[in-house]
Amino acid sequence: MHLPKFDYERLTSAEEAGRLLGRYGGDARLVAGGTDLFPRMKYGLLRPRVILDMKGLSVKSPEVNGDGNLRLGAMTSLAGLARDPLVREKAPLLAEAALGVGSVQVRERATLGGNICLETRCLYYNQSHTFQFTQACFKRGGDLCYLVPGGKKCLAVFCADTVPALISLGASIGIGGPGGVRRILLEKFYTGDAVQPLAISPTELVTEVIIPARPRIGGEAFAKFSVRGGVEFAAVTAAVALRMESDGATCSAAVITVGAVSPAPRRARKAEEALQGKRLSPELFGESARIAAGEISPLPHHGFSAPYLRECLEVQIRRALEAVAKRVRS
Amino acid sequence: MKRLIELTVNGELHELAVEPQATLLDVLREQLGLTGTKEGCGTGECGSCTVLLAGRPVLSCLVLAMECQGQEVTTIEGLSVDGRLTPVQQAFQDRGAVQCGFCTPGMVLAATALLTENPRPSEAEIKKGLEGNLCRCTGYNKIIEAVKLAAESFNQK
Repeated sequence: MHLPKFDYERLTSAEEAGRLLGRYGGDARLVAGGTDLFPRMKYGLLRPRVILDMKGLSVKSPEVNGDGNLRLGAMTSLAGLARDPLVREKAPLLAEAALGVGSVQVRERATLGGNICLETRCLYYNQSHTFQFTQACFKRGGDLCYLVPGGKKCLAVFCADTVPALISLGASIGIGGPGGVRRILLEKFYTGDAVQPLAISPTELVTEVIIPARPRIGGEAFAKFSVRGGVEFAAVTAAVALRMESDGATCSAAVITVGAVSPAPRRARKAEEALQGKRLSPELFGESARIAAGEISPLPHHGFSAPYLRECLEVQIRRALEAVAKRVRS
Repeated sequence: MKRLIELTVNGELHELAVEPQATLLDVLREQLGLTGTKEGCGTGECGSCTVLLAGRPVLSCLVLAMECQGQEVTTIEGLSVDGRLTPVQQAFQDRGAVQCGFCTPGMVLAATALLTENPRPSEAEIKKGLEGNLCRCTGYNKIIEAVKLAAESFNQK
């Protein structure tokens, strides 16, 4: 399988990136690891005129700044994140989620910024269109959906593994552009529109990720469900972070983020509320997981039906909560 | 438009004129004739095209040759020295961990990378380390046995 023709520019600084993005606009594509972009280009889903290679940009090592926040460069590879002692200490949830992505070989190239900016996916969209599905679907600029015939909009889902983990950790991101760097909560970065899933303009790029300091007493857990368990996008992911009272048994605040079942990651807010102020117990976890499965309506995707995913969601959240409780106790 | 890059492949420095859209896999196989590196899916799912880039396992079908400017690449052809197989290669042979052989170069390189980073992997760690390499003959048991054997001979040295 060959890539279509394009011109290539190797970026050496964020300023240069901004300048070239301004010049080429929509004709250019930034590439970091390329593990998401190149397969889509090989399938003929997009043909950028210019590839702007970010591998020449400096990779900032993870560091903790004065206020205890963990700062990560967007160009850090997922393998690098999972290996880094500081990340494993300050944000073990992120290291765990990063290890779930693709395979060893994919994680060596794929970057944190790239995972945050992953395209939404669909069984029909993510394959070669050379001889089938010739009429363009919503995602390819047309006006029909192959997944749900008669559907009114694109139903592709957002499958990045690290993102639910980052949202549960309260992460924000830095976005560089012509007007300097703006910082937003990662949760606000996703539009919910499967065709344009990211709130970013073509002249901007994600430069860094900031994760607030961990609570003194608390715990996190990540659960990913897929059929094979390797080199696979998730059917469902759940990332849970609990902050505990000083007694170590009562939950003072909870964040539950669910991925892969909608065009944007989703918070299970009612299930979070159900945990707040309560003593941890298996019954509470079961109830909270049931509430989450009630408030989030999964989209069917990649051959999984919506009712099946709803059940998966409940099981994964319950297991993640049980894993957090075990970590809090130890 | 073609551009010149420098690439060290298996210890030998090459100056190559490459198109921007040429992948590392294209250049290894078609320009350097190193056909030990295989193309399976071409989209990053099977691991047949695994090579070591600066010592790390990557999928050569998803890396542009131009991205590798000035870097060091090790392919399956570069492992043995004067015909002497590495412990991983020898273990694959001894355990019969080869059926049709198409996945073998990728498997051997992924296993080599795994043992370099973790010389005493558990079975679960071996499976995780080889998760990106598919064997369509499904000869996984022998492959996992071979990696265990290779780990033993690695550690005896």
